[in-house]
Parts: sequence; structure tokens; C-alpha cells
Amino acid sequence: MSDQQTYNYKVVRQFAIMTVVWGIVGMLVGVLIAAQLAWPVLNFDIPWLTFGRLRPLHTNAVIFAFGGSALFATSYYVVQRTCHARLISDKLAAFTFWGWQLIILSAAITLPLGITTSKEYAELEWPIDLLIAVVWVAYAIVFFGTIMKRKVQHIYVANWFYGAMILTIAILHIFNSAAIPVSLLKSYSAYAGVQDAMVQWWYGHNAVGFFLTAGFLGMMYYFIPKQAERPVYSYRLSVVHFWALIFTYIWAGPHHLHYTALPDWAQSLGMIMSLILLAPSWGGMINGIMTLSGAWEKLRTDPVLRLLIVSVSFYGMSTFEGPMMSIKTVNALSHYTDWTIGHVHSGALGWVALVSMGSLYYLIPRLFGRELYSLKLVEVHFWTSTIGIVLYISSMWVSGIMQGLMWRATNADGTLTYSFVESVQAMHPFYIVRFAGGAMFLLGTLVMAYNLYKTIAGAKPAVATIPAPAAAH
Amino acid sequence: MVLQHVWGLFTNPRKEWEAIRDDECTIGKCYAAHVLILAAIPAISGFIGTTQFGWSIGAGDPVRLSTQSAGLIAVLYYLAMLVGVFSMGWMIQWMAGTYGAKPMLSQSVVLAAYTATPLFLIGLMELYPVLWLNMVVGIPALAYTVYLLYTGVPVMMGISEDRGFLFSSAVLAVGLVAFVALLAATALLWGMGLEPTFTR
Repeated sequence: MSDQQTYNYKVVRQFAIMTVVWGIVGMLVGVLIAAQLAWPVLNFDIPWLTFGRLRPLHTNAVIFAFGGSALFATSYYVVQRTCHARLISDKLAAFTFWGWQLIILSAAITLPLGITTSKEYAELEWPIDLLIAVVWVAYAIVFFGTIMKRKVQHIYVANWFYGAMILTIAILHIFNSAAIPVSLLKSYSAYAGVQDAMVQWWYGHNAVGFFLTAGFLGMMYYFIPKQAERPVYSYRLSVVHFWALIFTYIWAGPHHLHYTALPDWAQSLGMIMSLILLAPSWGGMINGIMTLSGAWEKLRTDPVLRLLIVSVSFYGMSTFEGPMMSIKTVNALSHYTDWTIGHVHSGALGWVALVSMGSLYYLIPRLFGRELYSLKLVEVHFWTSTIGIVLYISSMWVSGIMQGLMWRATNADGTLTYSFVESVQAMHPFYIVRFAGGAMFLLGTLVMAYNLYKTIAGAKPAVATIPAPAAAH
Repeated sequence: MVLQHVWGLFTNPRKEWEAIRDDECTIGKCYAAHVLILAAIPAISGFIGTTQFGWSIGAGDPVRLSTQSAGLIAVLYYLAMLVGVFSMGWMIQWMAGTYGAKPMLSQSVVLAAYTATPLFLIGLMELYPVLWLNMVVGIPALAYTVYLLYTGVPVMMGISEDRGFLFSSAVLAVGLVAFVALLAATALLWGMGLEPTFTR
């Protein structure tokens, strides 16, 4: 059988396994820095173990290494299966895998050494940024090239979401990373002052909107119908909310800069666009929930479905919370507090991580031609992770609101009721709970890793022939 | 009878839910016998706790609220709980069709009202606000509330356990959204000049 009659599962397998590996690494760093906030002595007075250096390592590891590998793995799988075509180039696909791993490795070395552009979620210095651009363009060529040689006329909606993610991230990354190098490891942003801030948060919020939302919605639109064995609840809704989502998201960045030097009208525009964003976000959530709700009779036998239900619910919750927090009056209280951290993690743990893990449970057995080792362990994973998320976000809600209220509380004579350090002290119990929640989530991930390892151990890589497209297409 | 189901919800929740279902309570009766009384616990405890004892953070003197300010907050708090229970009930009825149930509004409100029982009861600890203690008591109470929801939905809605699991998860998600809305509303009110008066 020639290669062209089969799917390229090799690159999917590689990325799928690295998703698990980087997930564990990234979450472990997260748990460590959560512990450092509760017990600062855990810095051990070693510079590269301090919070300031490990925090970007944590965010880069979970977003770009874990989330990125999950996106590569699933998009390569979905685009092949729904187009009935092998990836256009195995070599280029392999290049994206090894290139992406090299980028992650460079990040893991430079960030603890304190080599950073200081732009949040874009900390990597210019040589690594160039490599990212090259790998990302290669990714775009593989993805869109495969769509162009598809055997079916129709382009399934999951591919629209993945495609929007790939295109937009390319633009965002290249514009935001524009910099003037002064040495191999140091550069200055091409933009100055408030323009720099605006470009940064145009990038930053759309990294959330396209990398962490559109890409993972692509995942939802393939793996939820597959796991539930039902068609998508409303195809029309999926297309309508796709266009609404990509049109609206791109404007929402200024809500990260409320009450700063950014012109007031730009802040208000960002706030209004963020509020509008609720509608397309919930369009996606409703589509996911309704697709799953028809498969309720499978719940007893399929804990993976539970994982997916919870992930879509958290998507709905955090996309409601986001617009609320973008309201200027609310933001005046919530900004710079732990409420923001809680919000990010209800999206990142609840939505992004759980939908990726649900997809991995679907993907890994098919990539290795095996049944999943244990459904019981999926159940264990489900409960530990869910409880972990709830502990995490509820502790951050309480501590965030407390911080906000304490910082602005004044006495009758106009003096501040609390000093800053009093608010730090008040956070201590919540930081312990947050650490416990994060540790539970990591524990769930380790259970998943063990389960997947037992599934893979001793298995031969599966070879899948490309089926003829159904006549209905 | 007033407060007759509270004890049973802790000793034998499944059987108690069946008893609650068989009562076929109206919304008015449910509020009079349960919600109006239990919701007063956190409101009154909070009022006493914040005006009489106050709370201290670190080594500082305890911070209290002025009587007028705490009174206003207590009334708003009480009303928010009454409205909250009804809204959750309304949402439960609105979603029920998706999960193959056809409850009356009263059944849905009763479900919401009795599910919230542990949360009302732990309101008592607001009498003496100590952060870590409140959290140690609060987290198990919250967990038990979720447990009551998952056991109550199949019984009250007359659907299978599996469908009940999905329905309960949807209710939980709505609950979280409602909670976030409440947080945002608090922040809005506070920001628009309704902030409490602290004394120290």
C-alpha cells in the first residue's frame, strides 16, 4: 500500500504524546509557583527559581507547549480525516514538529535565565520569534495545502476554526514581535509608549481569542460529535457564530488597558466589543452542550463525555465572566487582582485543558489501534480535575474580590483603611487553597498520562487507509 | 410545616427529596416555610457580625461596618437571596425540556430552594467573621450543596440518573454564571458610590 492511500498519523502521534509531556511540565511549574506565592521561602534564594522568571515559563509551557502541541495534533488529524486526504508533505509536517519542540526548548532555557522581551505571552527574544514565524508559516502551508487537495467539496466547520487560528496567529505574532535587535539576546519593540501597549494587547487578547478559543472550538466541533456519535446540533449556528466570533474578537484588546494612557474612546470601544462577544461565544457553547445533551444515554459508559460536558460548561462560564470584567466600573475593582487569575484559569483549565484531554482520550486509542486502558481511571481523572478547578477558581474569586475591596477601602477621613501588606497577608489562606486546587488538577493529568501510557505500551502504530468519500458529499 | 425537610436532607437526602416531591408545595408555601426563614440566617448573622465583632486582618484592630451601612447591605443581601432562588428555579424550568422533563414552575423553584439549604445554614458563621475558619466550613457546605443538586434533580424532575447528571451539570453552570453576575453587580454598585462605611 503506498503512502498516499493512508493518513499521516506519525506527526499526529508525536504531537499527541508531547501534549501530555508538556502538559505535565507546564502544570508542575504552575503548582510550584502557586506554592511560592503561599510560601515564598520556596524560592530558595536562587534567581532562576523565583516567581518572576518561572511565571513566564509556566504560561509559555501550558499555552504554547501543551496547548500548541494539542492544536497541532488535533488539527493535523482533523484536516486529514475530514478532507479524505493525506497531509501534503510529510517532511514539512515533520519540520513543524521538530521546529516547535526546538522553540519550546529554547523558551525553557532562556526564560529562567531572565532573557525576555517583557511582553506578556510574547516574552521570547527575537531569534526565537523568527523561528516561530518560520515554523508557523510551514504549519499554514501544510494545513491549507491539505485542504486544497481535499477529496470532498465541503470544508467542515472545524477546519474553518483551525484555519482562522493559523492565519490570525501568524499576523498577530509577526506584528507584535516586530523589534529592533541590539544584540543576539536583546531587542527593543518597534513601537513606542501607548502604541506598544495597544499592539501588545491586541496580540495578547487575540492569543486568547484565536489560539485558545478558535483553535479549541475546532477541536470541539470534531471531537464532541465524534465521541457523542451524533451530528452537530446546528450547522447553521456554527457558521454564524464563527463569523461573529472572528469579527468581534479582534477589537476586544483595549479592555486590558482600562484607565491607562490609552485614549478613553478606545477603552470604551474595547469594552463594547467585549460585551458583544458574549453572543458568539455562547453560540459555540450552546452548540456543544446541545450536541452532547442528545447523547445522555451514553454517559454511564463513557466518562470522556463528562469531561467534554464540563469543558463546554466552563467555556460558557468564563466567556460570560470575561465581558462582565471588561465593563470599566467592574474592571476598576477587578484589574490587578486575583479575580483575573481565576478567570484565566477557569478558561485555561476548565475549557482548554479539559477539551484537549477529552480529545486525547479519543485520539490516542485510534492512533495506536488499541482500546483505552481504563475507563475507571478516566472517571478518577474527571473528578480530581473538576474539583481542582472549582477549588482554584473559587479561592481566586474570594481573594480577588477581597483584594479589590481592600485596596479601595477608605476611612471617613479619606485615608486608606488597609496597607498593601495587609492585603497580601489576607490572601494567604486562599493561596493555599489555590495551590491545593492546582495540585489536584496536576494529579488528574498524571492519572491521564498513566492511563494513556498503559494504552500505548507495547502497541504498534496504527495505519489508517483513506476511505472513499461518502456519496452524500 | 415550617422547616420540616431540613434535617432529612442531611440524614437521608434521597428519601427526603422524594418526600419533598410528594408534598407538591406551591411557591408561596415553599418560601414561607423554608426560604424566607433560612435566608434570614446569613443576612442577620452578617449584620451582627460586621457591626458588633468586625473582622481583623493580620494584627490590626478589627474593622467594622457602621450600623446604617451594614443594615442596607443586609437588606440587599436578603432580597438577592430571595430573587436568586426564584431565578434559579425559573432557569431550571426553562432548561427542563432539553432534558426530557416537564416540571411546573413551583417544582423547579422548590428544587432550587432546598438545594441551597446548606449554604443558608452556614450563613450562621458570618456572626463571627474569621477568614480561614469560614473557608474550612464553607467548602464542605458548598460540596454538599452540589451533592444535593445531583441527587435532587432526578427525583424532582422525574428523569433517569444519567439524564439527571447532564441536567444537574447544566444547572451548576447556570449557578456559576449567576454567581459571576452577582460579583459583577456588586462591583458595579460599589463603583457607583454605594460603598459601605468602615469604622475601626
